[in-house]
Amino acid sequence: MTLKIIVMMKQVPDAEEIFIDPVTYTLNRTAARGVINIPDENALEIALQIKDKVGAEVTVISMGPPQAEEAIIECMGRGADRGILITDRAFAAADTYATSLTLAATIDKIGKYDIILAGESTTDSGTGHVGPGVAEFLDIDQVTYAESAEVVDDKIRVKRILEDADEVVEVPFPVLVTVLTGANIPRRATLRRKIDAIKKGIERWDHETLGLPPDWIGIRGSPTIVGAVKVPEEKKRASKKISLEQIPEMIDELFEKGIIKREDGA
Amino acid sequence: MSKLINCVPPENIEEYKNVMVYVEHRNGSIVRGSLEMIGRARVIADKVNEKVICVSLGDNLSPIAEEAGTYGCDIFLGAESPEHRYFRSIPYAHKITDFIEKYKPNILLISGTREGRDLVSRIAVRVRTGVAADCVELDVEPKQRLLISWRPAFGDKTINQILCRKHRPQTVSSRPGSYPVPEKIPGRKCEVRIEKVKLDEKYLKHRIVSRKPKEKLDLTKSDIIVSGGLGLGKPDGFKLIRELADVLGGDVGASRPVVDLGWIPYDHQVGQTGQTVRAKLYVAAGISGKIQHVVGMKASETIISINNDPDAGIAKYSDYFINADLYKAIPIMIDEIKKRKKGSGGAKKSS
Ligand SMILES: Cc1cc2nc3c(=O)[nH]c(=O)nc-3n(C[C@H](O)[C@H](O)[C@H](O)COP(=O)(O)OP(=O)(O)OC[C@H]3O[C@@H](n4cnc5c(N)ncnc54)[C@H](O)[C@@H]3O)c2cc1C
Ligand SMILES: Nc1ncnc2c1ncn2[C@@H]1O[C@H](COP(=O)(O)O)[C@@H](O)[C@H]1O
Repeated sequence: MTLKIIVMMKQVPDAEEIFIDPVTYTLNRTAARGVINIPDENALEIALQIKDKVGAEVTVISMGPPQAEEAIIECMGRGADRGILITDRAFAAADTYATSLTLAATIDKIGKYDIILAGESTTDSGTGHVGPGVAEFLDIDQVTYAESAEVVDDKIRVKRILEDADEVVEVPFPVLVTVLTGANIPRRATLRRKIDAIKKGIERWDHETLGLPPDWIGIRGSPTIVGAVKVPEEKKRASKKISLEQIPEMIDELFEKGIIKREDGA
Repeated sequence: MSKLINCVPPENIEEYKNVMVYVEHRNGSIVRGSLEMIGRARVIADKVNEKVICVSLGDNLSPIAEEAGTYGCDIFLGAESPEHRYFRSIPYAHKITDFIEKYKPNILLISGTREGRDLVSRIAVRVRTGVAADCVELDVEPKQRLLISWRPAFGDKTINQILCRKHRPQTVSSRPGSYPVPEKIPGRKCEVRIEKVKLDEKYLKHRIVSRKPKEKLDLTKSDIIVSGGLGLGKPDGFKLIRELADVLGGDVGASRPVVDLGWIPYDHQVGQTGQTVRAKLYVAAGISGKIQHVVGMKASETIISINNDPDAGIAKYSDYFINADLYKAIPIMIDEIKKRKKGSGGAKKSS
């Protein structure tokens, strides 16, 4: 039986091109190019490496506006077999709960799966909460912050990186794994595969396909709301300009204010 | 589709009381991020006259409970098992959910460490509530006991206020390093309720094959940090940075490009993709002041920058801006500090 792998991929605005409107504090999305969220590329690469090694059918799913299709085609150009775009106005402004629910419902509808791969977080809203949320909805195990992963029999063996330790864990299928930014170097798409993908087309599912009531999804299905938006206040600093000659004076001040302490503690 | 259900709010949100904190610990002591959360929980609980309840899992929790007490915890709930020595998402999430269902906290604070983020949304989905993720400011509106959380968005270009009006507990994952560690009150005690639990066999299929602790520099705990950037011009420049850090009794930090170049290991990196620090004194030498670096250090109390470009962006974030070649400025600083440290030389009399 071929392994079934699902990759969760989000198209995000290119971080380098993000522009915030100074009056409305909203993101000027038209200015920013859509790209694949970086760790999702690394997640896809792990899926494709497993496919190369032991054979697998790789499905990419993405919830987003119609233009996210581009990003799915790119993934198929790299070697994914199937692409599903979950798109519906009613999905808009979903928080992590509603997003996880929608993605879990998508995976549930796909049916059989062994491994689900996601990125560690998204660069545009960056919570890192969607992957584990999906795993909880599907009631399956998870391994987060993977640097690499390989299939060993009916298990996945993952090296994960924590703040204070590196851990190797083995978990039986089905399992969801979230992948670190920069875990690997993603392969490039081939033109031929991309053309094939465009010919084959990607599937588009909406809330009705998923059988999700409108008040379960998008902003209506989200327990959290954005109450207000502000631009971070910067603490005003003195920015006192110091020349080489004034350094002794500055050091005196630091001692006086107790910012630097003498050996005797004074 | 039994598990795939929407976020149904509870009917009786008045029943939800107190502030719960998930306490993460390592080698017998509480991690900094969780201490920040206990401190914040104390402030919030005091405003609404409620208690701080800490929850924790592990194989030996008494010392953790004791430490939590000294930082402001009122009630410590623990689940102890030899198997809980290692973190596993599912049994941890299930146990904490049990605590939540039993104690019904109004607010749940979890530090957004890797472990914290692994847990928080599983818990939230299980108890059917929302998470304000990666928050950097937290406050409470005392009348409705509504938590006001703020989280940066779009690479910290804006800050969004997140509210969870109808669901409980109001759950937060907080960016580590966003709050000071609270004052420790030696001898302060809390009520301790630690139960022994047995881990279901099926969870042990999640096998931890190996765990290699790494010697990691934790800059979030440093009071004094001297950081070097590309302006050092060469890897050797870190010798001078180290020397200044040594006379100040501090640690060495770095900007990202010098880490990428391999001049210094990643655990020295400060910034958006490195550590967020809150030093008493932060010195930035040869660092231009790009926002991705600044977000990781701007909460420091006193900031000195050294840069030979009079228009360097870092000036704006500095209390003192030494506009000079760092290779000239730092040796003078080292000299002047050494003289005064010993209490001789040019220092003014400290009274
Ligand atoms: C998604 C993302 C995440 C990022 N995360 C981080 C992060 O976590 N941390 C981080 O630091 N960066 C991060 N960056 C990179 C960041 O944008 C900047 O590129 C970086 O901070 C610049 O480092 P620098 O100041 O050392 O180098 P530069 O910008 O090149 O600045 C060098 C400075 O040194 C000065 N200088 C040169 N010679 C001397 C001398 N002899 N004496 C004194 N001054 C001198 C120059 O005037 C200049 O101002 C990130 C970028 C992206 C896109
Ligand atoms: N709209 C989406 N469509 C598909 N996958 C998503 C979506 N949002 C988040 N994800 C996945 O969940 C991961 C974590 O996202 P986040 O919790 O938003 O930081 C991402 O790296 C993706 O793999």
